[in-house]
Amino acid sequence: MSENVTDINSVQTNEAPVIEFKGVSKRYTNGTHALEDVNIRINKGEFVFVVGSSGAGKSTFMKLIMREEKANTGTIKVNGFNLTKMRRKQIPMLRRTMGIVFQDFRLIPKMTVFDNVAFAMHVVGAPSRRIRKEVTNALAAVGLGDKARSMPNELSGGEQQRVGIARALVNNPALIIADEPTGNVDPNMSYDIVSMLASINKMGTTVLMVTHDHQLVREFKQRVIMLDSGKIVADNTAGGEEE
Amino acid sequence: MKLGDVRYLTKEGIKSTWANRLMTLASIGVLVACMVVIGLAVLISENGNKALGHLEKQNIVMAYMKDYSWALDMKTNADTADKTASEQTAASKSGNSSEKGDGAQDGAAAETPDENGIKNSDYVIHSDEEAKKLCKQIRKIDNVKNVEFISSEEGLKNVAEQLGKDESNKKLVMELLKDDNPLPRSAKITMTSMDEFDSTVKAIEELEGISNVRSQGDAAKKILSIKNGVQIAGIWMISILLLISLVIVSNTIRITMYNRKLEISIMKAVGATNSFVRLPFIVEGITIGLISAVISEGLLYFCYRVVTDELENVLGGAVIPFSHMALILLGIFAAIGTVSGVIGSSIMISKYLRKEGSEFAAI
Ligand SMILES: Nc1ncnc2c1ncn2[C@@H]1O[C@H](COP(=O)(O)OP(=O)(O)OP(=O)(O)O)[C@@H](O)[C@H]1O
Ligand SMILES: [Mg+2]
Repeated sequence: MSENVTDINSVQTNEAPVIEFKGVSKRYTNGTHALEDVNIRINKGEFVFVVGSSGAGKSTFMKLIMREEKANTGTIKVNGFNLTKMRRKQIPMLRRTMGIVFQDFRLIPKMTVFDNVAFAMHVVGAPSRRIRKEVTNALAAVGLGDKARSMPNELSGGEQQRVGIARALVNNPALIIADEPTGNVDPNMSYDIVSMLASINKMGTTVLMVTHDHQLVREFKQRVIMLDSGKIVADNTAGGEEE
Repeated sequence: MKLGDVRYLTKEGIKSTWANRLMTLASIGVLVACMVVIGLAVLISENGNKALGHLEKQNIVMAYMKDYSWALDMKTNADTADKTASEQTAASKSGNSSEKGDGAQDGAAAETPDENGIKNSDYVIHSDEEAKKLCKQIRKIDNVKNVEFISSEEGLKNVAEQLGKDESNKKLVMELLKDDNPLPRSAKITMTSMDEFDSTVKAIEELEGISNVRSQGDAAKKILSIKNGVQIAGIWMISILLLISLVIVSNTIRITMYNRKLEISIMKAVGATNSFVRLPFIVEGITIGLISAVISEGLLYFCYRVVTDELENVLGGAVIPFSHMALILLGIFAAIGTVSGVIGSSIMISKYLRKEGSEFAAI
C-alpha cells in the first residue's frame, strides 16, 4: 500500500480524473433506460458516495466503470483507459487497476481467509513471496491479522466484508469500487466497514461506494452523487445529503 | 504465462478434477466405452486387412506382350489418330530388335512391311519361344511366385469362355477370330506378397516386350469395395464416437465451471486473463482424456485377449498380437483424450467467458 497521506480536499483537479463520464447513456437490451446523459468527473483521492432509490441506475453506473457493461452513447474514461474504445482483451488490464468489493462478499468457502486474499494475487500472476508479504499487510490493514487461518464461515458478516476489502486492496489499486458493501452487514458493523474504506482513501486510493444508508452518508461528510431514474440529480461535493 | 502460473493452474485443474470426481468418473466411463469400441474397430479392421491380404495374394495379374497382334493394334489406333506420330514411333522403334520370328503369324520378311504394313522391328515378341523366354525373365523378378504362358489361342478360348455358357456362341467367336486372332500373347503371373504389388507390377511393365499389366479384376475389385465400405463405416462410427466424447467432456467441464462460478467471477473481477481462467479447465479436460486412454488400453488388452483366444482356434494363429498394436492404440487414445479435452473444455469456456463479473456469479 502506498504511504503518502493525501487529504481529499487538497487534491488537484487539473490532474487527469480517475473516472470521467461524458454524455453516457445505457439502455439494456430489454429496452430499460438505466442511465441517461450522465456527466461526471471523479479525481484521484476522492471518496464518493453514490445514492438513489432502487432502480435509479447506481449498479449500472458501477458496472460501466468495471466494464461489466458497455455504454450505448458517450465516453467513459477510467484510470487512463478509454472504456468505450477498449477491446475485450484489455478488460483484465483495466480490472487490475481497481479493487472491487461485493455486497455478497464473494469469499470462497473452502479457502482460508489468507488464501481468499492470496487468490486475487495468484490469478494475476504475482510471485508467491510477494503474495505472502502483501496478503499479510492487507489483512493487518483491515484488522484481521489474527484471522488469517480462519475459514470464512467462522467470521461475522462484518469480518467477512473486511476480508473482501483486503482482497480488493491487495493488488494495490488506484480505485476501489463497492456496490452496497454494507448491504449484508448490520448497522454498527457498517460504520466499521466505511471507516476502513475511508482510511484506505486517506492513503490516496480513490473510493466509490454505493449505499442506501443515509445515516452513513451523513456521518462521513464526503462527496455524494445522487441518481434518479438514470440521471444525476445532485452532486454535492461539500458532503452531506439533500432531500 | 510464467512457469509458476502454469504450475499453480495445473494444480488447480487436477484439484478440480478430484473435487468433481463423480462427474469425472462418469465421463471417464463414457470416454473409455468410446475408446474401447474405437480400439476394437481398429483391431478388427487391421485383422480384416490382414485376412483380406491373404485373399488378395491369390490374385493374379496378366501381362500382355508386344507381339504381332499388339503391333497391329497399335498401328490401327495410330493410323486413325495421328499419322505423323505413328511414323515417328515406327522410326524410333526401327533398330530396336533384330530378332527374327518364325511363328505362323509373325513370319513376314525382315525389314519389308507385310500386307498390314507391319515390319519385323515394329514388335518385340516374334514367337512363342521368345514369349516363353520373357516368361522366364518375369519369373526372376522378386515377389513373382509363378508365371504361366498363355498363347493367343488360349487367350481367345478364355475370352470365348467368358462370353457365355452357350456353346454355339463360343463356337461362333472361335470361328470368326481363329484366323485373325486380335489377342496378344500373355503371361498369367501370381505374386508372393500383396504388399509389394505395385512395385512388382512396375518391374514387370519395365521389361522389354511387355505392353501392359492388368490385374485380373473382379475379385480384387470386390475385396477393395468391401474394404472401402468397411472403412467408410468405420470412419462414420469413429466420428460419432468422437462427437460423443466431445459432448461428454464439454458437459463435464460445464458442470465444473458451474461449480466454480464464484471463483471465476472473482478471477475476472480482479483481472485474470481469459486464458488464465481457461487453463485449469483445459487441464481437467486433458486429465479426463488421458486417464480414459490408459484405462481403455488396459481394458482393450483383456477384451482382445478373450476374443483372439476364440478366434485363434478358428483361424489358426493368423491374429495380430496386441503388442504389435499397443503403442499405436495408446497414441490414438491419448490423441482422442487430449483433443476432446481441449476442444470440449474450450467450447464451454468460450461460451461462459463472454460473461463478465457479477453476471457470471448469477448463472
Ligand atoms: N441486466 C439488466 N437487464 C435489463 N435491465 C436491467 C439490468 N440490470 C438492471 N436493469 C434495469 O436498469 C435499471 C437500473 O438498475 P440498477 O441495477 O442500476 O439500479 P440500482 O440503482 O442499482 O437499484 P438497487 O438500489 O435496487 O440496487 C432498473 O430499472 C433495472 O430493472
Ligand atoms: Mg444496485
